[in-house]
Amino acid sequence: MSIEHVIGLAISGLTVGMIYALIALGYTMVYGVLEFINFAHGEVFTVGGYVMTASLLGLGVSDKTSSVWFWSLLVGSATAAVVATTALGWLVERIAYRPLRGRPRLIPLLSAIGVSIVLQQLILLIFGGAPIVVPTLGITAASVTVFGARVRVLALMIIGISIVLMIALTWLVKGTRIGKAMRATSQDMEAAEMMGINTNRTIAFTFVVGSALAGFGGVLVALYYGSLKYSDGFLYGLKAFTAAVLGGIGNIPGAVLGSLLLGVAENFGVGLDLGFLAWFFVAGLVAGLFVQFIVAPRRRVEHIAVQARTEKYVREVYKIYWFAPYLAVKRVLSPRTDALLSVSSRHAIRLLAGNLLLAAMAGVFFANSTARFAAKWQPVIAFVALVFVLVFRPTGILGEHVAEKV
Amino acid sequence: MDRTTTIVRRVSSLPNWVFVLAALVAAIAVPLLNQVGLVDTAWVRVGIRSMTYVLLALGLNLVMGETGLLNLGYVAFFAVGAYTTALLSSGKFGLQYPFWLLIVLSMLLAMIAGLMVGLPTLRLRGDYLAIVTLAFGEIVRLTAQNMQSVTNGPNGITGIYPPRLVTEGLSERLVSSGAPNWLTDILVINEPIEYYFMVLIFVILTIVLLNNIKKSRIGRAWNALREDELAASSMGINASKLKLLSVVFSAGIGGLAGSLYAYYSTFINPTSFLFMQSVIVVCMVVLGGMGSIPGVVLGAIVLDALPQAIREISSILDTDFETYRMLVFGIIIVLMVMFRPEGLVPNALWRREAHEEDPHELERTRQRLFDLEEGHQDLEV
Repeated sequence: MSIEHVIGLAISGLTVGMIYALIALGYTMVYGVLEFINFAHGEVFTVGGYVMTASLLGLGVSDKTSSVWFWSLLVGSATAAVVATTALGWLVERIAYRPLRGRPRLIPLLSAIGVSIVLQQLILLIFGGAPIVVPTLGITAASVTVFGARVRVLALMIIGISIVLMIALTWLVKGTRIGKAMRATSQDMEAAEMMGINTNRTIAFTFVVGSALAGFGGVLVALYYGSLKYSDGFLYGLKAFTAAVLGGIGNIPGAVLGSLLLGVAENFGVGLDLGFLAWFFVAGLVAGLFVQFIVAPRRRVEHIAVQARTEKYVREVYKIYWFAPYLAVKRVLSPRTDALLSVSSRHAIRLLAGNLLLAAMAGVFFANSTARFAAKWQPVIAFVALVFVLVFRPTGILGEHVAEKV
Repeated sequence: MDRTTTIVRRVSSLPNWVFVLAALVAAIAVPLLNQVGLVDTAWVRVGIRSMTYVLLALGLNLVMGETGLLNLGYVAFFAVGAYTTALLSSGKFGLQYPFWLLIVLSMLLAMIAGLMVGLPTLRLRGDYLAIVTLAFGEIVRLTAQNMQSVTNGPNGITGIYPPRLVTEGLSERLVSSGAPNWLTDILVINEPIEYYFMVLIFVILTIVLLNNIKKSRIGRAWNALREDELAASSMGINASKLKLLSVVFSAGIGGLAGSLYAYYSTFINPTSFLFMQSVIVVCMVVLGGMGSIPGVVLGAIVLDALPQAIREISSILDTDFETYRMLVFGIIIVLMVMFRPEGLVPNALWRREAHEEDPHELERTRQRLFDLEEGHQDLEV
């Protein structure tokens, strides 16, 4: 376990995280505007990778192709892929989602699942079930040494390009007219319409931007791993959605943060010894104890009306958090508990359960400190993270609590 | 009005018991015709498989149709049931738990799995359930595939013992006390026709149970939640508790189907529990009609047995169809939700909504409301 190993894992984690972020942005933007999970988004990603590869093969890249010519063909193919996914995103929205807007929630969700299956099966029928191999000619395999760790140049390029794209997206959303329309539509579609915003066009634009980013993500994955399978979009889509929820769905910086965290967590999860991973749980436990004993009671006290904020009452709240579960359970069971104390009690019990879980995980991991998770368990990390987030902080890291519109 | 509409109207205005009777006769006819040699045993097997799908579709309909939540990993509960049965009644650990105990145990464990999925998500918006169940389905499959020491990984578990309806000791006593041969024979279920009737009985029991739940207070609360969660909660319905109940209950039916599946296939491996299986069941519910029990049964039979039937009769659907199967299912889902979201056999509520202007339907509704006021009949929704 050397420091170079850790740095190498961190950089590959950031690379994968950046790709997740490109996909997650589409999920989060669409969710922000329509409160709708676009299940077909993962397939748009796959289409991006396939179109790029097919176009490279179609343009006749072979072993004799020179490096410069290869790069220019690559840029052309990537552009073709982004154009194709943009058109696809627009088309899917136009055909399968727009006619169903305003129907019960289940209906567009089902339509999205159907579209996702149709797209995936079309890829399967056209290109076959075997993974498609990208003719990278070994050019994308070049590597450099960063802080003693060997890192592929392509990984650094992916990180760089993604950062540029994200800055551009921030500018698009914050600094342009259409971005303003997007923000307005996501706040209140009816009100935006009354202000003269063409919400249909704005929503279509949101889909188009999201699909372009996802398509580009597909291009990067195909280049990075050198191959792509027709069913890959499913897993990447699921992970990107997890990342979006982790960061707070509907929140653009949140999607990026969540993706990077997930990417790094996945790489650390299967690349490091359990004894090393245990320290992350220890850190989580320290933070969790801090929240339970200091942050949470203080925030709860702020909710007490000033007139009622007597010293005795405040002490009562602190006691619930400090002596959970004994006092908290007593409070929950008592019929004479007021609303604030009963909410605090439940919160205290949840926090304690989380802390105990973290302590137990740390213990188990320290006990098997030299073992490692097999790589085949990697997909599970994202799912477990998703459930964890939904239990302990459903709004995500950067998300704010959004009340449902009445 | 053209001819087909007239026929459809004539048929659909027949009383319900006619359809129920027809379905029962058809279900019983298949194995009987097989006994007299008119129908190939392959058809009995097709029937067993279709009925398993019927069970799954009925279970999924509980969450999707009745409560309006989307569960995209329904096959996970099926897998939990199947693996529970397979591990406790096969040579893998040398165990042979009694059939009835395993049926109950499979249902219970699947329900616990449903609780695990539902608890974190159902306090939140319904969409989260879709994505978490999707993830859960994959976790279950990956676990089955990766935990070599328990599940044999991709090789699966073979040699699941046939179900014994009574304990071995009791059946031996029956033999020695001179019970007829056929009786001791059907106490151990090991022929296709016996499996067929076993699954059929469970399907009928499930349908009766679901039909009653649907009309009960709980069922009506589910429907209220489906139509408008906010309005329902303000009428005093505990939304998260009832949604959880619906998910757990439907998981139990999935577990039952899994247990039966493990028994009659005598072999299970992770490829039976792919995400696509969940999609197929979703497609069955959407095609048949969300929230309509006869619709869901029809949907499952149409999508599972019909392709095979057509393949038997002609060579239109030979091996080629397998390649297009999932594509067709995807297209069916999209077309149905766009053009006929109420499904082939819509439930009563959809039917009323769809024919609000139709004087014929209006008269029926008026009559029903009249009956209700007079106390003749419970409102059927």
